[in-house]
Amino acid sequence: MQTQTLTQRKKYKTFGFVAVLMMTLFTFNSSFGQTAEATQERTITGVVSNEDGPLPGTSVTLDGTRVGALTDDEGKFTFPKKLKTGDVLVFSYLGYETQKISITDKTNFITLELTPDMVEMIGAVDTNKPYKSKRKKN
Amino acid sequence: MQKTFTLLLLFISLVSVKAQIKDFSHLNFKKADSIALALKGENLTNLPELSFKLTSNLKTDAERFRAIYKWVCGNIANDYSLYLKNDRQRQRFKNDSLKLDAWNTKFRTKLFSRLLKKKRTICTGYAYLVKTLADFANLECEIVQGFGRVSTTNIETLDLPNHSWNAVKLNNKWYLCDPTWASGIPNPKTNRFNFEYNDGFFLANPKLFAVNHFPIEKRWWLTEDEEIPSFDAFLKAPVLYGNAYRTLELHDAPQQMHHTIKPFEKVTFKYQLKNNTKIEKVKLGFDNGFSTWKDQPTSVSINGKSLEFEHQFNQTGFYDVHLYLDDDLISTYTVEVRK
Repeated sequence: MQTQTLTQRKKYKTFGFVAVLMMTLFTFNSSFGQTAEATQERTITGVVSNEDGPLPGTSVTLDGTRVGALTDDEGKFTFPKKLKTGDVLVFSYLGYETQKISITDKTNFITLELTPDMVEMIGAVDTNKPYKSKRKKN
Repeated sequence: MQKTFTLLLLFISLVSVKAQIKDFSHLNFKKADSIALALKGENLTNLPELSFKLTSNLKTDAERFRAIYKWVCGNIANDYSLYLKNDRQRQRFKNDSLKLDAWNTKFRTKLFSRLLKKKRTICTGYAYLVKTLADFANLECEIVQGFGRVSTTNIETLDLPNHSWNAVKLNNKWYLCDPTWASGIPNPKTNRFNFEYNDGFFLANPKLFAVNHFPIEKRWWLTEDEEIPSFDAFLKAPVLYGNAYRTLELHDAPQQMHHTIKPFEKVTFKYQLKNNTKIEKVKLGFDNGFSTWKDQPTSVSINGKSLEFEHQFNQTGFYDVHLYLDDDLISTYTVEVRK
């Protein structure tokens, strides 16, 4: 009875191994076809620039999470988590319009130029200095 | 039936009461404030993450916005030299829109770089940062551009917008706040910026706000149409100081800064206070160009939180009249007494 169970376990083990092996093969087999690639997780890289050239320090975040990266001195990034189709990356840099990019079936490398936020910069400073009327000097 | 209708009317009138911090009296902002304090010194390179850290452990939108606002007020310094430089250039190019645009573009780049690297900015930088962090937390927030009146601006001849603040939508209602003026004030002698948080500018009463904030876009008054002043009336309003936002609920009268009266005539002053005060705490400061002194008003009456007083001017002259409550400078008026 016991021997039978052991043999059965062995069988399951072998079956499990073959299953994992097959899944691995399918996953890494690029000829598997378009539909599989759509759900396939992959590493996304890219480069971000502004009107003057590469923009180092741009934050690239997976929408709705804290996972992200900053672009390097050449404006390049490699996203730390593998992404799948439908994921959204948020690109932000202080003073530039935040942009969201959806990962499509064909996204592997993202080239993005951020546009400046055209806000007019103004500022009045509050003060505790008492108001003083201008008076004519006698 | 009639009773229900009356109750319904009462409810509607209560709901339409001005959007302000009182709406959140059931909330305690201690947790939001302590999160903002714990993140003091964080840098601005990763704004989505900063926004996440500030807001993810808070339950309500009001608390989430509070943490963002409080962090900005406590970490961003007002750059007085940048303000002066911008003010000079904007005045210089005010009749040449091309040059003004070119200056604005150049200045914007410089300003964002200064904000990112040194955490110093001017009003729009504060309002922009509050909005950006709020956006990442899915809070609806806008930058409001307009005119701000303080004692040292050339208050009768404001001709270019000079101030920015924020409007935020919480529980489907818009509220106003001014992160720049809430963050602190420059030392009057050295002009070095001192952080000194003023809670009065957070979800302030729009009617008090209207005394020294004039938005370019009409929708940001957040008051009834008939309460919106003309620009001319705005320029003629009394000068309010930051302490007014700490102390006053409303500034009812006088609505003008300047008064011309005859000797022995009186000027009447009316306010709604946030907290109770005592008659002896109400003082007026006078400056007639030769000397300055403080005195009690001629007659003071306090009824709950409404404060009303009169002052009789006996001598001819031109007076700057400052209201002090508990030694804090609240507002300024001018009175010319002539025969």
